Amino acid sequence: MTETLVEHFFRREYGRLVALLTRRLGVARLELVEDAVQSALVHAMQAWPRAGTPADPAGWLYRAAKNAATDTLRRDAAFADKRPEFAAPTATADERPDDHLIGDEQLRMLFTCCHPELPDESRLALALKVVCGFGVDEIARALLTATANVQKRLTRAKDKLAEMGFNADEVPDADLPARRESVHSVLYLLFNEGYHSSAEADLIRRDLCAEAIRLAELLATHPTLGSPASEALLALMRMHAARFDARQSAAGELLVLAEQDRFRWDREMIRTAFFWLERSARGDELSRYHLEAAILAEHCRAETFAETDWDRIISLYNLLCEREPHWLHALNRAVAVAERHGPAAGLAALDAIAPGGDIRYSHWHAARGELLLRSGVSSAARIAFTAARDLAATAAERAFLNGRMARCEVV
Amino acid sequence: MPKFLMLFRRAPENTPTKPPSPEAMQQMMATWNAWLDKFKKSGNLLDPGDALKPTGKVVKSGGVVTDGPFAESKEVIGGFSIIQADTYDEAVAIALESPGGQAPGALIEVREFAGWV
Repeated sequence: MTETLVEHFFRREYGRLVALLTRRLGVARLELVEDAVQSALVHAMQAWPRAGTPADPAGWLYRAAKNAATDTLRRDAAFADKRPEFAAPTATADERPDDHLIGDEQLRMLFTCCHPELPDESRLALALKVVCGFGVDEIARALLTATANVQKRLTRAKDKLAEMGFNADEVPDADLPARRESVHSVLYLLFNEGYHSSAEADLIRRDLCAEAIRLAELLATHPTLGSPASEALLALMRMHAARFDARQSAAGELLVLAEQDRFRWDREMIRTAFFWLERSARGDELSRYHLEAAILAEHCRAETFAETDWDRIISLYNLLCEREPHWLHALNRAVAVAERHGPAAGLAALDAIAPGGDIRYSHWHAARGELLLRSGVSSAARIAFTAARDLAATAAERAFLNGRMARCEVV
Repeated sequence: MPKFLMLFRRAPENTPTKPPSPEAMQQMMATWNAWLDKFKKSGNLLDPGDALKPTGKVVKSGGVVTDGPFAESKEVIGGFSIIQADTYDEAVAIALESPGGQAPGALIEVREFAGWV
């Protein structure tokens, strides 16, 4: 009789085993390690249905992967001299991965993926591959790019790591803050890829968010690698994730904040988010994640849309725009201004971001359409929604914007 | 009841060069589990068999020993199972349900035991 494995078991073990074995064999051997882990999974896939799932599947995979790596290394005499501790024979019958170490090793791998020598665009793809255990096709699907593109980014990253030698996975104390910053942005990017692209048919997006939260939690709870900003990032992700289900109607349409049923927000998720946000307030670091989480916290606090404290939200956006000038922050600020001071004030703030409407972001045009519609200028609103729809990335967004255009005719 | 050998074959040139993702492998394993379980319960599956390593030895007449896989055949045998069924049709129906014949480049050879022993 065969028993069912937990969901994503292979994917999770892939990431765990790659981190553990890379730690022992050196980052330069990443390719070899990945091949060994892959072959252990192939072995399991063929053996387990026939022989039954072993009592300790994780230990089984660990031994198979370690032995596969050892076999390859035996043929590589030069290696034994450099790392004599790994000249050890095959795994003993009950040897299994040390679960206490795995969190540390996965974080270390994540920091390695954010090594300053690696090209920016390679970091996320590499993290998805070696930390999260996604396949090349899955990464391409998640990042809405071509498989060949992902392959190229991975190859570049691995070539670079192979050049760097055994100790490339050490993070010198002096480098820690900068490296952590890069880890934060990769994790936030990972989360946003899952959260904002809303290809609802594709469950992989939800997996991206779950992975981002899992890794952010590892980082936030780590005694030395994390910082208050890591905690704020975790709080931020959790507050977003709490609204995952409420963002869509039963028919699958996107719902804006004002339309969402707040009873469908995940209160338990919000409670833990507040815990992390409070914790992140120790120390004097004020990161963009602190500010973004504080803004979301205001939305989570308001029991109805009407009760939202827009003054506080605007002042937080002011701080955020000062710290991290970005059109998206300015856009969200303009929307808050419109809620507090009316659509005309909001439109003025929007136009200040992109005078003459010269901006190729769907969200900007959509926000403008919304405010024009509220001001009663439906013909101009329709033009704005059309521009937004033509720039939209996903079918769900296009459907949403088509719905908005239809409203312009009714008014 | 007649017995049948199922040979799971694969044409290497038709198999994808990229390894399947861990998630895809777990799904493949689940379909194998379902197939084996179903026909173990029905009593059709006599021996789940095993996978075969991709290379081997060929012993020819005259004592000539060479390394396999075999130049004459395009497909590699990846594994086997033994089932019993009342008819060839039933055996083929069981093979049609097997994930072993569904991957690109994969095929299953179904052969009835002669029953001479």
